[in-house]
Amino acid sequence: MVERLDLTFAALADPTRRAMLVSLKAGEHSIGALAAPHAMSFAGAAKHVGVLERAGLVERCKAGRQHLCRLKADRLAEAETWLKQWEGFWTASLDRLEALVAEEKPR
Amino acid sequence: MSEPVILTVTRQIAAPPERVFDAWLDPASARQFLFATSDGAMQTVAIDARVGGRALIVERRTQGDARHRLLFEVIERPQRLVFLFAADPAPEGEWTRVSIAIVADGQGSRLTLTHEMDPQWAAYEEQTRQGWTMILDGLARTLETNDD
Repeated sequence: MVERLDLTFAALADPTRRAMLVSLKAGEHSIGALAAPHAMSFAGAAKHVGVLERAGLVERCKAGRQHLCRLKADRLAEAETWLKQWEGFWTASLDRLEALVAEEKPR
Repeated sequence: MSEPVILTVTRQIAAPPERVFDAWLDPASARQFLFATSDGAMQTVAIDARVGGRALIVERRTQGDARHRLLFEVIERPQRLVFLFAADPAPEGEWTRVSIAIVADGQGSRLTLTHEMDPQWAAYEEQTRQGWTMILDGLARTLETNDD
């Protein structure tokens, strides 16, 4: 689980790849279509897609002569869950801190 | 690319910055809020509140003792506190970094907690972690704004 998350976060580290994921949220795209908004070569885009694919965030399927990329939301959800757990961890302490120091406040 | 995964939590608190800051380093206060859970019983709250000093906070929980280890890096009352942090089951030496910024805001304070989960502190067998990077806010924003 942790090793898989490493790959996920490494893939998410790049703003271009995050933008690609956002595009893919709207539906399947070809690599060419993913490259277009980034003024990027097909090869450059394919490299990013490869990283996303290895991280399990994207899968490729063949549609006629071109490859379409599709978002695999499960892995993204796993990463979000992991971060949410940490967020919950700190939120619990901050809730108590807030109650504690606000209580002490003279009225 | 070896930036850490960053988690940020911000909170408005109806108390002055000094009071908010002191709660983190005063054992009597810390035992009431820091890592405390509703069914746990706080066992140990030892805080050596100086740069280079350590803190150990242990809470007894039904599933066993939860040990939280801190190593203070920056103590600037009342605005900034930075410590290395490890919680079980992370082994000794596998630190992540927590920074707390407190600013006066109206009648109270605004606290921003930033947790950097930095791979450089981690003793992983594989080097795959070198690429760990993500700004949670950035991702959440990017994904959320596309939701509609």
